[in-house]
Amino acid sequence: MNFKFRRKRISGILTVLPAREQSFVEDMRNFKFSEARSLKLKEVMGYDKHRIVEPGTCVSDLAVAGMEHLFKNGLLHPDEFDALILITQSPDYFMPPTSNVIQGRLNLKHDLLCLDINQGCAGFVIGMIQALSLLEQESINRVVIINADVLSRKTSPKDRNSYPLIGDGASITVVERDTEDSVIHANLKMDGTRSNVLMIPAGGLRQPSSLETALLEDVGDNNLRARDHLHMDGSAVFNFVQMEVPPLIENLLKHAGATMNGVDYFFCHQPNRFMLQKLADKMKVPYAKMPSNVVEHFGNSSGVTIPTAIAFNLQEPLLQKKLRVCLAGFGVGLTWCAMLLDLGPLNFNTIIEY
Amino acid sequence: MKCIFRNKRISAILSVVPGQESCFDDERLNYNLTEEKARRMKKMMGLDRHRVVPPGVCSSDLCLFGLQQLLNEGALKKDEIGALVFVSQTPDYYLPPTSNVIQGKLGLGHDVICLDLNQGCAGFVIGLMQAFMLLDIMDAGKVVLLNGDTASKLVDKRNRITYPLIGDAGSVTVIERCVEENPVHLCLKMDGSRYRALIVPGGAFRMPSSSETLKLAEVEEGVVQSLEQIHMDGAAIFNFTLEDVPLQIEEVLSFSGNSRESIDYFLFHQPNQFILKQMADKMKIPQEKLPNNVVGIFGNSSSVSIPVNITHNCGKQLRNGTLRVCLSGFGVGLAWSSMVMKLGPLTACRTVEYAAA
Amino acid sequence: MNKLEFFRRLAEILNVEEVTEGNVLKDFDEWDSLSVLSVLAMADAKYGVVIHADEIRSVVKAADLAELVEAKQK
Repeated sequence: MNFKFRRKRISGILTVLPAREQSFVEDMRNFKFSEARSLKLKEVMGYDKHRIVEPGTCVSDLAVAGMEHLFKNGLLHPDEFDALILITQSPDYFMPPTSNVIQGRLNLKHDLLCLDINQGCAGFVIGMIQALSLLEQESINRVVIINADVLSRKTSPKDRNSYPLIGDGASITVVERDTEDSVIHANLKMDGTRSNVLMIPAGGLRQPSSLETALLEDVGDNNLRARDHLHMDGSAVFNFVQMEVPPLIENLLKHAGATMNGVDYFFCHQPNRFMLQKLADKMKVPYAKMPSNVVEHFGNSSGVTIPTAIAFNLQEPLLQKKLRVCLAGFGVGLTWCAMLLDLGPLNFNTIIEY
Repeated sequence: MKCIFRNKRISAILSVVPGQESCFDDERLNYNLTEEKARRMKKMMGLDRHRVVPPGVCSSDLCLFGLQQLLNEGALKKDEIGALVFVSQTPDYYLPPTSNVIQGKLGLGHDVICLDLNQGCAGFVIGLMQAFMLLDIMDAGKVVLLNGDTASKLVDKRNRITYPLIGDAGSVTVIERCVEENPVHLCLKMDGSRYRALIVPGGAFRMPSSSETLKLAEVEEGVVQSLEQIHMDGAAIFNFTLEDVPLQIEEVLSFSGNSRESIDYFLFHQPNQFILKQMADKMKIPQEKLPNNVVGIFGNSSSVSIPVNITHNCGKQLRNGTLRVCLSGFGVGLAWSSMVMKLGPLTACRTVEYAAA
Repeated sequence: MNKLEFFRRLAEILNVEEVTEGNVLKDFDEWDSLSVLSVLAMADAKYGVVIHADEIRSVVKAADLAELVEAKQK
């Protein structure tokens, strides 16, 4: 489905990453694979280190820290936004919504729409679509989108498929009205028939957590996972991305009357460097225009990888100038979506540590 | 937050309740209640029967069943569905989103927007808000709002505070664009500082599931619960409902240019009969205009209690004509949201019983 | 505040003939979560005040409850 939004812009992006860093070499000790084989994987996929939270840290902790940083530095005023949208798949509680917990911890006003939306890899673009549609309402002038996940806590350290690349983090994106007649285009697709490609089988109400669901099982590929853990079908995800994302972006650009050359940067969700380089090859986009370096430094933090990629690769430039960027999120759902917009100059574009 | 939505209408509402009905009188012994106290409780809260799902049935099953019914009877066509919004506090999984799972089971196309919102008591009004906003940005298609909760899975049968009131249900609401202006007025507020008043402390990321969190304990007489179950501060919720909600009802009436007299029905979330009677008295609304009977028939099914209220109490009227209604959902968050709109005539407006395929 | 009227209303809630200011609330058979809700409702409807759960928990005698409501009215 195609969307078009007018006169709205991102005014700032803040990313909060855990200070705790773990290296692939340290992770390797838990795998059932030989060191040699694991090191080969490291090279091919582009793993190095990742940021994961200390035990017990939740998304509201990261979000509150980020918001407090913005308030303290005068980058956002607590009373001057009308909605707080939290995009997460790792909430503090099933009930109440974590966005209300954040609202409560920050003592925010009552005249505030707080919503928890369940989304992951595509969550930055989905959050943007939500914010942009809220801004169509007269009474909504500024929206705060928080993408946050702490999925390392649900990933088995003995799962070489997932553990080395998982990352945790939160990002806060402020979206508001634009005085310029700017246009944002977006395209969104979803396929629930393949929803089992990326899932956590137990923990929800379909199969509640129990002593059994915590037991590690060898799923047949030498990796050990419990039903409480993240299950990712790596090759299915790879095929999905290669097949669906290029036509989506092509379609988006066509709808917007834009060309590949007219785009300064492609900021994609960062599953791993290998997948992104293959995607760049398929789309015929030079690697310099499609950064793929987030996983090796920070890990794949679900919806937070796009803002991390933006803050890490273009920290200074986006404070000064305007760039034409294409965002692309793809993954859990399965969901794939893209957005074409002008980005910058931003009021803030930083990474802080928790 | 105050909004006006235009050129949109609800065209159908279907409530789905489990086939299994249980009675307070039969369950009384689980609560360690004397006959006298049970009688008082039954009378005050308006308890009698409630509907609870059997093991293995989830909120999404109830919603999917309802949606399948509407598709089968031609009230809706698959290719008319432009978006699926699933509102629940009892989703199938942490990931993937349950709306995608439903999309997959129905074989809906790739252009359907699927969204899971975590909301409870205020979730029908908030779901409608989301649907109206989606219609503004979609170039075609209808929005199907699914509300579903199986809170019975988050409560122990021996908990006299929560179990007697609990109900499971799902609902399907079809929302579409229309030529008539049909303004819908919304007022919404949230107060996260009181988030602990209605909470499931364990089981998610703040307090992960463990043998500790799963342990059931009798925390006071007749109240058996674990950390992975609903903890409710009854007095705090009661005060909130009496203090904050009437103010919002005044606000939404004034905002929409209505009065108590011009509203046909006040269709509120149904926590229990006592609080609804108090609210009606406080707001000087005649009891006949503010139905309070849902808990005693179906139980309190969280965000689904409003659609169940609508289909059960106003089904016939809405199939045949139009009513001017004030909806209000209030509770977990804490969140409170109210809407005034003209409702009906609807192509479908009834309660059905869930039957496993 | 008319204390006699307050105690009369309280007696009605507790389903007893009479409540006097010295009575300890815990001693009444029907002093439980249900009557607490009725007291909260009465405080709101008849006296226009909001009492919170923790305030009720700290009350011992009927007189304490009356004082609590009266103080909030000011």
